[in-house]
Amino acid sequence: MQIKERTATQGIILDVEGDLTYANQGVFKAAVEKAKQTGCRHLIVNLEQVRFVDSAGLGLLVLVSQSFKQLQAQVSILKPQSYVREIMSLANIPKLIPIFEREEDALMARAA
Amino acid sequence: MNSNAMQPTGQAADLSVQPALVATILLVEDEPVTRASMAARLTRLGYRVLEAENGRVGLDVARRERPDLLVVDWMMPEMDGPTFCEAVRRDPLLKSSQLLLMTAHDQPAQIAEGLVRGADDFLSKSASKQEITARVLAGLRTSRLVRELETTGDELKSSMLLLEKKQAETEADLQTAATFVQSLLPPQGSPVHGIALAWEYQPSLTLGGDLFGVMAIDEDHLGLYILDASGHGVAAALRSASLMTFLRGENILQLLGSYDPEKVLFEANRRFPLSADGDYFTLWVGQLHLPTGSLTYASAGHPGALLSSAQSPSRWLTRSSFPLGFDPSARFTNDRLGLKSADRLFLFSDGIYEVPSPSGELWGRDRFQGVIDAEKQTSLSATIAACFSKARGWQQAHHFPDDAAVVGIELTGGPKGTFNG
Repeated sequence: MQIKERTATQGIILDVEGDLTYANQGVFKAAVEKAKQTGCRHLIVNLEQVRFVDSAGLGLLVLVSQSFKQLQAQVSILKPQSYVREIMSLANIPKLIPIFEREEDALMARAA
Repeated sequence: MNSNAMQPTGQAADLSVQPALVATILLVEDEPVTRASMAARLTRLGYRVLEAENGRVGLDVARRERPDLLVVDWMMPEMDGPTFCEAVRRDPLLKSSQLLLMTAHDQPAQIAEGLVRGADDFLSKSASKQEITARVLAGLRTSRLVRELETTGDELKSSMLLLEKKQAETEADLQTAATFVQSLLPPQGSPVHGIALAWEYQPSLTLGGDLFGVMAIDEDHLGLYILDASGHGVAAALRSASLMTFLRGENILQLLGSYDPEKVLFEANRRFPLSADGDYFTLWVGQLHLPTGSLTYASAGHPGALLSSAQSPSRWLTRSSFPLGFDPSARFTNDRLGLKSADRLFLFSDGIYEVPSPSGELWGRDRFQGVIDAEKQTSLSATIAACFSKARGWQQAHHFPDDAAVVGIELTGGPKGTFNG
């Protein structure tokens, strides 16, 4: 898995490529921690290039979202592929973490 | 053996207070005057010198004393220098020794032959004191490095042996734990009259984190569940065993008064929060009313169950819901439907269909469902076996990346002719 970080005025976007799974937890955690250290108020996790998220990956997303909420910050998910969206929907993730199809909408969500 | 053979000459006794610092050199030379002369020169340089008057004696001394450097004459009766070098290289105890071959000649062809036959360096009998010092020091430096490597190698080998022993103990412990966990799984066959049960379970590691139960709650109700722990390994397995204990029929009846799925999930959600590492469970719970075939079920983020009927395509029994621990105040909702005779209910973990092909494409829920539908004419256990076989064929590997379980229940006919069919 590879994660590239982009900084926008309204937050940080993590472009994730590969599978978000138990085996790749460390890479994702490190990228999130780095963003957190910068005082990021809105973390947008771009899953457009992620084919598969397993149960450990889902747990990690929820955990990260909860920890950002405690800091009055927000996590959003961007462009999940259909299978990933299906897995997330089954676990009711959209009720915990907002999901967006367009980057502009995700960025605007926190600004609003 | 010649009396010279084992007697160190020179100042060995004086230097014995610092034995580790005094290098030992074995001098193998048949000609007494040359041997005495060279021994004296080496002794003056501060080394402990052992002497042997021929190759055979030299090998005996070398095996016993493990000298740091062997200085060997080329020309000797019985066993010449190169033959001695070959014998040393063949000897398991001596093969890494440093060998300095003494010669009166320094023809390139002779040097090449000596090197090929096992010598490390050459020393001319007419060499100056400086050259002898330099070549002996070089030989000893290499010898020290080789011995350090051997010591490190020995330490590594013993560490490896220790690790292997520990690993074997851990594996045995895990196997014992796995056997115990497997013993908690329901026996295949007929848990209650009118119900057939078959299952197949392939943990990704020795100890799995996906577990299931099928049990009589009372004479009219059958309780069913399948749980899936996020993550892998011993920690996940222990958490699963803990949830499994909670889900035992008598425990739930004592706590809640019934095996009502939504109440079971509500209570489990309260007791099993998201861990600090993001670990959690998904759980599907069902209760079958045996006299009528009425199934009540609820899910906490679990991919669900599949109902397979003889007359119609299979259907998923699930709805979107939080896994356990995602929301402490989450409520879960029961769904109900009626089962008929010959209907089959499959509980499964997502590990059965979330298997990638070599190109990375997942087998997926649809293909899994396709096998359930295609195999409905075969026996329950054959249908389950086909799911595993197709999944393995898709990923082209026997072992699954995640725990894989499929549990099948078939209504074979009610105790009093119930189950409308």
